[in-house]
Amino acid sequence: MSRMVDASTLDPWDAVAVSPIIETTGLVMEFPSTRALDHLDLRVPPGVTGLVGANGAGKTTLISLILGLLEPSSGSIRVLGLDPTVDGPALRAMIGYGPERNVLPDDMVAYDFVRHFAQIRGLPRDEARSRASDSLYLVGLGEERFRALGTMSTGQRQRVKLAQAIAADPRLIVLDEPTDGLDPVQRDDMLGIIVDVNRNFGIDVMLSSHVLEEVERICDHVVALDAGRLVAQGSLADLAGILGGVEVELIDLADRPGSIDAVERRLADRGLSVGRSDLSLSVSGATDDELFDAVVATVAEAGARIGTLGRRRRTLDDVFTGDIVDADRSGVRQ
Amino acid sequence: MTPVPPPPPSRPPAPPPPTSFGGPSEPGARIVERGFQRYEGPRAGVPQAIRSVTWQSIRSTLGLGRPARHKIFPVLAVAIAYVPAIAFVGLAVLVGDLLDPSEVADYASYYGFISAAILLFAGLVAPEVLVGDRRNGMLAMYLSTPLSRGTYLAAKAVAVMLTLALVTLGPPLLLLVGYTFENVGPDGPGEWLKALLRIVVSAFAISGALSAVSMAASSLTDRRAFASIGVVLLALASPAVASALVDGAELSPNWRLIDIFSMPFELVYRIYGEPGNFPELSTVSVVAVNLAWTVGGLVVVAWRYSRLVVAR
Repeated sequence: MSRMVDASTLDPWDAVAVSPIIETTGLVMEFPSTRALDHLDLRVPPGVTGLVGANGAGKTTLISLILGLLEPSSGSIRVLGLDPTVDGPALRAMIGYGPERNVLPDDMVAYDFVRHFAQIRGLPRDEARSRASDSLYLVGLGEERFRALGTMSTGQRQRVKLAQAIAADPRLIVLDEPTDGLDPVQRDDMLGIIVDVNRNFGIDVMLSSHVLEEVERICDHVVALDAGRLVAQGSLADLAGILGGVEVELIDLADRPGSIDAVERRLADRGLSVGRSDLSLSVSGATDDELFDAVVATVAEAGARIGTLGRRRRTLDDVFTGDIVDADRSGVRQ
Repeated sequence: MTPVPPPPPSRPPAPPPPTSFGGPSEPGARIVERGFQRYEGPRAGVPQAIRSVTWQSIRSTLGLGRPARHKIFPVLAVAIAYVPAIAFVGLAVLVGDLLDPSEVADYASYYGFISAAILLFAGLVAPEVLVGDRRNGMLAMYLSTPLSRGTYLAAKAVAVMLTLALVTLGPPLLLLVGYTFENVGPDGPGEWLKALLRIVVSAFAISGALSAVSMAASSLTDRRAFASIGVVLLALASPAVASALVDGAELSPNWRLIDIFSMPFELVYRIYGEPGNFPELSTVSVVAVNLAWTVGGLVVVAWRYSRLVVAR
């Protein structure tokens, strides 16, 4: 349950009690040649939030605004209850940031790098030392912590970026494409660590990614941008997952022309709602068990053949492409 | 609101392990495996962030914690700056009895021996401290911390000043200490403190002016080499232009003031109450021009960074 708290009455480090953790109203960011964000109204609750969108969608601009690196052209933004343009230093002390770019200095030892940023974010020297080691162990680089960053693999460097983001025990970590350049195994590991950081230590996470599948795997909430505009926001359960009804993909049989049309017609004659996209039929209007029986029987009667049959699912990809065959669901799409 | 889960329960204390000799361990001794956990202790503010960036910048510039190739130039510059001081002190040790204190303790003219090393060092330090962060994206990393552009620049400016002080402050201090131990230093505690004060003020006057100019050059280009060459060329060209204007075109001697290379060292003479190399210039104008170079350089840096679009 959300509990709204007046952030001005809180110590900044208590601002985590404020929900949502990120809130924007009519946020616009214009550069001389382009409008990067266009009237964005966001409410991001605690948890792991995926910021998705294609390159140029405005993800990085939004992250820069969250961190107070840019000032919005108009509109407002509050992060952890604070305004980044006004309370920048206090806010950024509570945020860990892992950039997308390979910014790590090649000559520096991983431990020194993590310790340095832990100190900058406010940890006393001795504490920064021990937590630098602890966070490098947490991301699986305990034995490698005294290696120069320039000698590390892409996967290891991504882990170092995560370690420096969490070392000072922030309230929120913002990770820009944290799995960029990783192979599937490394990607799984990295996503697992990010989930652990949230579940085990209560650190909220916002990660940007253009890989929708990994956002679906680990995120509680999603913010989807396209060309600077909000495409969708909400919990993953609302945006994607299992929907009511079944979806059947039929095989186009050369010797039985019109069989798919016949199936579609017969299902409609049974009083069911039927949507069609090429060879796929989306059927609703009864319980799932009844629908499965009706579809199987109808396909048999029409002499058609089933390719796949299952419950209807919506993926984030559907959210983006608007490709879902779903006429009856009004949801969180903007 | 999703409640923040409490930190995982700490493990119960392990029983005292046996020592390697099989006997009982020290009372209360135990192996602590702490691991990553929430931090609830005190947090420092922006001043610590500034100190940390300053120290890290100094370390990086001097090649500390970096491969040997990054140490070569700083070590050379520092060595060149200290060799004359070591030689003078050595001379005092060997023939100190024959030396008149007024002849040896010339701290102001000492910079004449090492001005080239100071200039080269100034040309190296600021580009190393500033340009790299803009090129590789570390600037955005720093600005994602409690540091703002102003506090980041303050940390970097202090780093450049302190690094330059290694060659502007260290050698005269070495002279002072060496001469003092050999009994050819300032006469009495009062004179000694006065000399110390002059050494410190002189060193930071030189460091301030050269740091500001070098930082200004470093803020205008994203290539370290261009910034370094720009600083050295400016420092070498300005004396030639000043000389051409005053000696060649017979313009006012005040045109000497555009000599960015000589004016900081001229100021040192004035701090010691000496006429210096350009006695025709008033002390007020020498002070003013050094102040102008220092403030002007910093204004350029601040202006450049205020216009910098830093994203990510």
